Amino acid sequence: MKISFERSGGFAGMHLAVKFELGSLGGADAGRLRQLVSDAGFFDLPAQVLSKERQPDRFSYRLTVTGKERSHTVEVDEEVVPGQLAPLIDWLTRMAASR
Amino acid sequence: MDRGSRKSPERVFPRQLVFIVPPHIQKEIIRNGTAAEREAMLHQLSVSEMLRGGRQAFAGPAAAVPAGRRRRAVYDAGGSEQLPGLLVREEGGRASRNRAVNEAYSASGRMYDFMAKVYGRSSIDGRGMRLDASVHFGVRYDNAFWNGSQMVYGDGDGMVFNRFTRAIDVVGHELTHGITQNEAGLQYRDQPGALNESFSDVFGSLLKQWVKKQTAAQADWIIGEGLFTRRIKAAGLRSMKAPGTAYDDPLIGRDPQPAHMKDYYRGADDNGGVHINSGIPNHAFYLAAVAIGGNAWEKAGRVWYVALCDRLRRGSSFADTARITVAVAGELFGRGGKAQAAVQSAWKQVGVAG
Repeated sequence: MKISFERSGGFAGMHLAVKFELGSLGGADAGRLRQLVSDAGFFDLPAQVLSKERQPDRFSYRLTVTGKERSHTVEVDEEVVPGQLAPLIDWLTRMAASR
Repeated sequence: MDRGSRKSPERVFPRQLVFIVPPHIQKEIIRNGTAAEREAMLHQLSVSEMLRGGRQAFAGPAAAVPAGRRRRAVYDAGGSEQLPGLLVREEGGRASRNRAVNEAYSASGRMYDFMAKVYGRSSIDGRGMRLDASVHFGVRYDNAFWNGSQMVYGDGDGMVFNRFTRAIDVVGHELTHGITQNEAGLQYRDQPGALNESFSDVFGSLLKQWVKKQTAAQADWIIGEGLFTRRIKAAGLRSMKAPGTAYDDPLIGRDPQPAHMKDYYRGADDNGGVHINSGIPNHAFYLAAVAIGGNAWEKAGRVWYVALCDRLRRGSSFADTARITVAVAGELFGRGGKAQAAVQSAWKQVGVAG
């Protein structure tokens, strides 16, 4: 499984991105991420979850998860992140920031 | 509900008088006219502003403005993302032991005073609206934003970013989003979005310059000085003087802002680059202010303020803004005068044709 994560916008307007193969992570992290993708119902999420009236200086996210048989990309605005997707975004944000 | 101290005019002028003088010209009469003209215009302005939906946008001397009162409230989100959080400091209340609380409170007060004294504006809605802020939003949250009704500040991660209340221009930036929402309503995407961002940087920077009593030539024109931790090689987040040069650091990369239309960002990120392309109108403002000289909030700031409140619309472009600020500069400070020439040349230098 491959994951690509990008964050844009925010007051600072700095681009944050990380792209990796799940197999390249330690076993515990890989397992946890697999769980987060599954908890998010990621492959069933709409391709775009956008705010009608954007709140100034909020972040925008773009996530792509590629499995053996399918690949899905979701664009989501911070103020309307679905509850089940928030833990995955938090995890990926920390990961991208620590690299 | 208390909406500030504005009162309905006691005399209502005949309808045909109400709209004949554009608001920014009325403001000039209020500043420079005789006592009788001033009184008539003040009445006319309040009537037309009431009819326009309650805007109060004139930039006359503070004495001509109904006295407003600061009203502030600071909440502690306590690391959650629930807003507003716990009320921890109200207007006139004792200082908190929490630094972020006091910074948000004090900077909001400075912005209130700046808008009231310099532009005659009572709070962000022009009607004395309470300024609400929440601090300690989220965990190690690297951001500050305006959610449509209040300011929200993160603590920063401590590695790259400090707490966002640290820089007074950040507070001015967020509150200006509130003003824009009440005035031009610039939509938050592409060029109108980059203008929305730029107006926030402009008035955030002017707030800082006003507090520090700096002329355009003395100011550093940096947005977010002190927001980065000391380990990051940066002057700040953005530079209005030299967009694209605020930071260059192995960890966070390089400031992506263009200073000229030839480097305009056309990608989809960041709502079409609203925090990137704002470098272009930011630089135009800087060039105009420095060419005019003196305190930037007095002339360049007033031109931009009148444009934001009376002329720009939801979908305004860079070219619209160039054309409008050139016109307003002529109306306020004389056609063919120094200010108008400075504004015209500034937009030309960044590659925007009005």
